[in-house]
Amino acid sequence: MNQKSMLNRRNCLKGIGVNLALPLLNSFGWAGNDKEKFKPPIRLGFMYMPHGVIMEEFWPANPEKFLSEPPPAIESLRPVLKQCLMVKGISGVPIKPFNGAPHALELSTWLTATLPNADHRNKIDIAISADQIAANYVGGLTALPSLELATMPQTHKENQEGLNEGYYSHCSFRSATQAMPAEINPRNVLNRLFGKTDKPGTAPQHDPLDRSMLDLVISGARDLRKRLPLEDQHKLDEYLDSVRAVERRIASIEQRQKDAALEKAGVATKMRNASDSPPIEIKIPIGNKRSEFMQVMCDLNILAFQTDTTRVSTYIGSTPNGVTYPELGLSGEHHSFTHHQNQAETMSKVAAITSFNISQFAYMVKKMASLKEGNGTLLDNCIMMWGSGLEDGNKHTRENLPFIIAGGGGGSLKTGRFITTKGNQGDLLTTLLACMGIPVDRPIGIATKQIKEMMNG
Amino acid sequence: MLAIAFVSPGIAGEEDISEKKRAEILKTFRDSPFLNKYCIECHGKNNRVKKGDVSFANAIKRPGAGEFRKQWQATFVNVKEHSMPPVDAKNQPTDEERRKFLELIPLIKYLNPKDPGLYVIRRLNNVEYGNTLHDFLGVDPSVAKDLPDEVPGEGYLNTLSPLQTEQYLAIANEALNRSLGPKEGPPTTRQKLLFGNTPSSVNDWRETARKVSTSLARNAYRRPPTNEEIDVLLRIFDLSRNNKLNYQSSMRMVLKAMLVSPQFLFITPAKETSENEAIIPLDNHQLASRLSYFLWSTMPDSELSNLADLGKLQEPDILRNQVKRMLLDSRSRALFDGFGSQWLGIKDLKDKRFDPKKFPGMTPELRTAMYDEVRLLFDSIIRENQSILNFIGSNYTFVNEDLAKIYGIKENINGPQMRRIEIMDANRGGILGMPGILAMTSFPDRTSAVKRGAWVLEQVLGERIPPPPPNVPALEKQDKNKVANLTLRQRTELHRTNAVCANCHKIMDPIGFGLENFDAIGRWRDKDDSGAPIDAAGELPGGFKFNSPKELKAIIASRKEDLARNLSEKMLAYALCRQIEGYDQIVVDRLLENIQKDDYRMQSLVTEIVTSYPFTHRRVK
Repeated sequence: MNQKSMLNRRNCLKGIGVNLALPLLNSFGWAGNDKEKFKPPIRLGFMYMPHGVIMEEFWPANPEKFLSEPPPAIESLRPVLKQCLMVKGISGVPIKPFNGAPHALELSTWLTATLPNADHRNKIDIAISADQIAANYVGGLTALPSLELATMPQTHKENQEGLNEGYYSHCSFRSATQAMPAEINPRNVLNRLFGKTDKPGTAPQHDPLDRSMLDLVISGARDLRKRLPLEDQHKLDEYLDSVRAVERRIASIEQRQKDAALEKAGVATKMRNASDSPPIEIKIPIGNKRSEFMQVMCDLNILAFQTDTTRVSTYIGSTPNGVTYPELGLSGEHHSFTHHQNQAETMSKVAAITSFNISQFAYMVKKMASLKEGNGTLLDNCIMMWGSGLEDGNKHTRENLPFIIAGGGGGSLKTGRFITTKGNQGDLLTTLLACMGIPVDRPIGIATKQIKEMMNG
Repeated sequence: MLAIAFVSPGIAGEEDISEKKRAEILKTFRDSPFLNKYCIECHGKNNRVKKGDVSFANAIKRPGAGEFRKQWQATFVNVKEHSMPPVDAKNQPTDEERRKFLELIPLIKYLNPKDPGLYVIRRLNNVEYGNTLHDFLGVDPSVAKDLPDEVPGEGYLNTLSPLQTEQYLAIANEALNRSLGPKEGPPTTRQKLLFGNTPSSVNDWRETARKVSTSLARNAYRRPPTNEEIDVLLRIFDLSRNNKLNYQSSMRMVLKAMLVSPQFLFITPAKETSENEAIIPLDNHQLASRLSYFLWSTMPDSELSNLADLGKLQEPDILRNQVKRMLLDSRSRALFDGFGSQWLGIKDLKDKRFDPKKFPGMTPELRTAMYDEVRLLFDSIIRENQSILNFIGSNYTFVNEDLAKIYGIKENINGPQMRRIEIMDANRGGILGMPGILAMTSFPDRTSAVKRGAWVLEQVLGERIPPPPPNVPALEKQDKNKVANLTLRQRTELHRTNAVCANCHKIMDPIGFGLENFDAIGRWRDKDDSGAPIDAAGELPGGFKFNSPKELKAIIASRKEDLARNLSEKMLAYALCRQIEGYDQIVVDRLLENIQKDDYRMQSLVTEIVTSYPFTHRRVK
């Protein structure tokens, strides 16, 4: 996809989201014969850990020595530090008047940088999240607009400040009123996105008529829509949006099959650069080791980006309720440990959990760095952010949100550094979208600016 | 204590009041000196004045709005109990002023115009979807097991992602394969049952397809399909024919299309709404579906569907009879799995981890038996139309061999099947003495008086406990030296030395202490882990004293109004798939009056909910 046609497409998408049935592209790849003209797309991924970190273990002591002596929490990222960026001084959303809901709002404010509507707090009424803003612009170019992953069911029921309980376990919002459910079963993702077996690229199980059938179902739904009151129509639009995405995905699989067949016959132009790494293999783990489970979700995220199945993802490493880490020899819950009252022993447990989570993120980005794409690596073309919605879980503070960005963002991010700045969560998200080349016509949540120090040029 | 008996002098029993009366109440309320004199100085001269994050600036503008309901409840309690205005405030109201204000607050509910709430088209949740496939196609509901777990009822998000929609297509394929046999094979019996025999003349195929589609869609869409909808299905039939599929295969494609249509995945109205109406009764078919998914978590059966077709469901007697019939049907088990287990907080018992060293006997089988015990009690109260007060005071329960051991029952009870037994020990019986509940409200390795107390207050009595303030250490984080020689009870009592904590813990903790005779998996004990004798004595607000679980149970059981109000509100919210707000308050008051006359019987409660205004009506704009 060259930059010019990308812009045209962007214009055509602007303001209408994916409500429009997009004409199918001839290919979902980006490579071509002329390497100068084509540039891999930029992908944006978010990975979450609740409850904050141990600050002394997380923030680099000396900016000069960021590369040579990284803080203990991010030791696992050492091999890719040059492609990492840490920024201190980004504050979270002040949660007043929901002071009694520090955990219910960790996730839901993370990518929206805004608070739920206090007057309708019992309903989902917040704002579209940054990942979905991105999906509105680039989601139409891929089989799946965005990918939502998690490791725990999003069903926690706990009433905090009368807030809708969905706020507790969702970070991605398609619109102010629609929370995006995440998938927790790796096999489902693999089957649905890449075909029926554990190997990518194998034949899908779709009936050849499914696409035309879905077309007709959609036209039937439009008839139904006319008969319904307004609120019902909105609900039906959500359905229509997602069925169109299914149609598109079937089309992309068909396209891939066609290309594979042509390639086999020796007549096809390749979808990707010859030098690009082949799609990674996915192995679904047996047993219930948390690290393996988290890593297979990482692999799926990588595969989705690598095959340009989607360009936007969120991955909730765990929700704020009751996750345990028997693998680290800890029997209590993550949340209880974070109220450590500055006791060294408990703090070391929180530090261990944090390192564990960051090492899963490191697993993902290191693998991305090993995959060739275009003139560089997959990671060069990604913006991967790992972070938490609290700074200090002990006191529920959010002055300096802990996060790490890995990836070059197609050359847009100034990496290999630790910088200190003054800004908020909305500014950060706005900056990341800008790096992706997405024009944002309204500030994201409490944003007031872009953080230029993070960017090249 | 926090639940409020809303007395409403003069207008009790009225479903709605006139605009004029409403304006009068609003005026009286706004003119009342109490708020201005004693409250707003700290809580809302304007939006920024909100000590303790409480402000009346907005609440006074729209006192009836649903979002302020909890605030008015808290206000009522605080003023009634003299916690507000604070004792050290310079202005103190007289008892007379206090009394007058307390009479006003309950009138707020009348400020809400009669409103059933929106009933936006609702997607079937993962359980309902699996059950519906079962009833429609005869496949096991587990065909839908790959769909993500969802919160049913109140708190249901009614949303979906592209990935999930993709699953619907895959599940439709799988369900058809299981129900009809493989695509390429000869027509199976069920296939013939659904699609009929292939008409001998090709010329008749389309007309037959029209008839068959119409009857299939009636079931799949749970209402008569419109002509437009049949046309769409026939276009799918034509599409298949044009691609050289035979009659049977083309019909299979039509059926698949139905399964991924919004008319199958959502509960949709049968009738178009007219432009100028704001509130309408549910049409017969939508009501049948709402009822069926409420009680059975599945589609209406033929009897209910026939009544809907005849247009009879809006007749109250017929609707009542259907509720009774449906509650006695085995499918009503879904009401426990969907609602009861959530209400009583034991939905996750099967997944809860216990310390294997301390409780090696806590096997998956035992946890299942514990869950089933609660389920069977719930079920028997429904079937036998008992009073809901028996949730506290029942004198029987259900055990199998494993569970009998937890109870310390000596009689011969062998095998894994659950059976009903009488209970002689008054400390047991009812949900407060049930191992499943007691285990669910414990930590993996020990009991928690706080958790148990909070559970009783919130789940059983419907009170709202604010979350703990930040920066308070949980019990295990307290200074080890200071607390080394204290019992768990004494340590827990430390909560109450901190004024911030004391407010809630002085109510919560004693209830938990009263249940300390039950260990973390519900076995009786006279001594705690350290060997100290259990002290199960306590006192609740109002001077109610107790010395044992038995006496605590009696005190809880005496709070009939609170028990009934809580269960009614929670079940209504589940039935409506939304929180209770605004006008619902009047609905619940009316409902309580009615079920109280019938000794709080369970079937009456469910019937009152189904026949209530918000269940049978919807606002469309």
